[in-house]
Amino acid sequence: MTKRARGARLFRPCWKSLIAAAGIFAAVLPLRAGESTGPPPPGSYTLDHIQRVPAGIVLEGTRFPRALSRYTTGAITLLAFFYSYCADPNGCPLAWAAFENVREGIIARPELYGRVRLVFMSLDPAHDTPGMLRGFARRYESSASIVPWHFLTTYSNLFLKPVLRDMGEESSIDREASAGVVINHLLKVFLIDNHGFVREIYSNQSLDPAMILGDIKTLLLEESKSSGHKE
Amino acid sequence: MKGCARYVLMAGIIAAACSIAMPTRADETCLSPYTAALIKGQEAYLHVWTLGEKGVGDESDKLVTIDADPKSKTYGTVISSVSVGGRGEAHHMGFTDDRKYLWAGRLDDSKIFVFDVGTDPSKPGLVNTITDLPGKTGFVGPHTFYAIPGRMVVGALSNNKTRDGVTGLAVYNNKGEFLSEHPIPAGNGGDGYGYDIAINPKKNVFLTSSFTGWNNYMTDLGKLIKDADAMTHFGNTMVLWNLKSMQPEKIFSVPGAPLEIRWSLREGDDWAITASALTSKLWLVSHDANDEWQAKEVGMIGDPAKIPLPVDISISADAKTLWVNTFMDGITHLFDISDPTKPVQIYEKVTGKQVNMISQSWDGKRVYITSSLLENWDRKGADNEQVLRAYDWDGKDLKLKFEVDFFGQKLGRPHHMKFSGPLDKASLDTPGRAASG
Repeated sequence: MTKRARGARLFRPCWKSLIAAAGIFAAVLPLRAGESTGPPPPGSYTLDHIQRVPAGIVLEGTRFPRALSRYTTGAITLLAFFYSYCADPNGCPLAWAAFENVREGIIARPELYGRVRLVFMSLDPAHDTPGMLRGFARRYESSASIVPWHFLTTYSNLFLKPVLRDMGEESSIDREASAGVVINHLLKVFLIDNHGFVREIYSNQSLDPAMILGDIKTLLLEESKSSGHKE
Repeated sequence: MKGCARYVLMAGIIAAACSIAMPTRADETCLSPYTAALIKGQEAYLHVWTLGEKGVGDESDKLVTIDADPKSKTYGTVISSVSVGGRGEAHHMGFTDDRKYLWAGRLDDSKIFVFDVGTDPSKPGLVNTITDLPGKTGFVGPHTFYAIPGRMVVGALSNNKTRDGVTGLAVYNNKGEFLSEHPIPAGNGGDGYGYDIAINPKKNVFLTSSFTGWNNYMTDLGKLIKDADAMTHFGNTMVLWNLKSMQPEKIFSVPGAPLEIRWSLREGDDWAITASALTSKLWLVSHDANDEWQAKEVGMIGDPAKIPLPVDISISADAKTLWVNTFMDGITHLFDISDPTKPVQIYEKVTGKQVNMISQSWDGKRVYITSSLLENWDRKGADNEQVLRAYDWDGKDLKLKFEVDFFGQKLGRPHHMKFSGPLDKASLDTPGRAASG
């Protein structure tokens, strides 16, 4: 007998007992009636406190400095980093489309009015100046009381990089890309609770507006439960 | 570009984006679907999580990096080795979603080491050691490291009370801070055992498989197989979970320790395949005619009566073929799984005296194999070769390109492998990032 065959035989003595213990049956054992692998009902699950949003200085509309926390606390916030000339369909435009859908979803649900804000923060403060971003914000002014959409930038990379690093959203500029200047970054959309904690992060694999709206409702239910109010 | 023109451009982009279907998941065949910077060309480096060996080199567990670029002067040689101190049954690794960091676990002392592979993948650096898994969760044996956005799901193998296979999942943020725990269901047909994790984001589900606990994986194999009671303590289940809620939804009976799980990467597919180690079977998890998830046995690997012990599997990017390593006989098998309900073996080759992990490039042209399963389960004496072998696959035969003798080079026992791409100019600022503007 070869050594290999001897090695293979090592398992044999317990083989029958193993099979007996395992019980060869093709059973499927649902843990509850029916499958529930779609989006779970809002409030039926908990979102982790992934991390606190870091402190930072941002600009909106003017060069007057504001604390980033002004845009990440006091309401549920959906935040993404972008730059205005981004053209990768799997990047910023995908996030933009998802934000548009979430915005429409909120407008269709009066119970969400004034409870959620949308925030885009630029990855290119040198190009995306406050004045330049004002134009984007204007497009959504008509619904600002229902769901405001803020377009933020900052003074320079010196102010931007620490925020990106802490949020796990560092970026780099590729000036040799065939499409011109490209800012390499990983698409991440952050769902932030009233207290400034990141509670969910969506990528281009999970940027589902229906799921985002479900998560927003889950956070609202959590808040109402902790404050004793009925949602 | 003036503001007006930008609005036109952005409006066009938004319109285009709105019409774009959600992209399908993309893997480097076996990575988390959330992993960035997939290497679809030639990999530059091979990181190998290596068990230290008493009397061999510095005797410490270490992350070994091998030059995998055939155009490099140091091709096929060890270019970096980072020892972490001590021996704790080094086993598996996983990238963070941004591919900047590589988490590597030890099954004995439950330490998790975080290496920076983004700054310079040719010279990884140890940047963090996470030691709180047992204290926070009661789980021990961190095995699987599966990235989700901004976080790492850690699948454990055991617990610190009974040290059997009842265990669970822990979620950490990318900074290494513990967030939550999720026990694998024990009862209602569940055995509570864990092993691999595999997510299908499109279906909002993930699967877990089941192996065995500390009592067994830290016991000498020769002694273990003579212990009839111990041999009953192997996992016999897979669990289907709701990804969003992290709640188990369904338990499948999959006898004989189902190990690695691979979802098909082909557009439109929603099935996963696994191999059961002790029963030597391939199992398929897919929807049935009633649109319910089911697991069913679809094929045999070698001769199950000889207990070849299938260990690692690697699915091709087009989901047409599946590599399977069987540890005991040292054979690498290739199955045609273009019909996943009827896998057919189309090739096999003895690639070592014992073979465990197998990794293939995205294009399927290169295949890497390592030898070590577990320190106490590896073969003894002359059969205990500890090597990494790199092959080219031409569609007909595996052709050896290089091998690294891990004992000969005083490194240890090579186990899990991960690829890194070259450090290019574009990523000098923040390397390892995807160009996903």
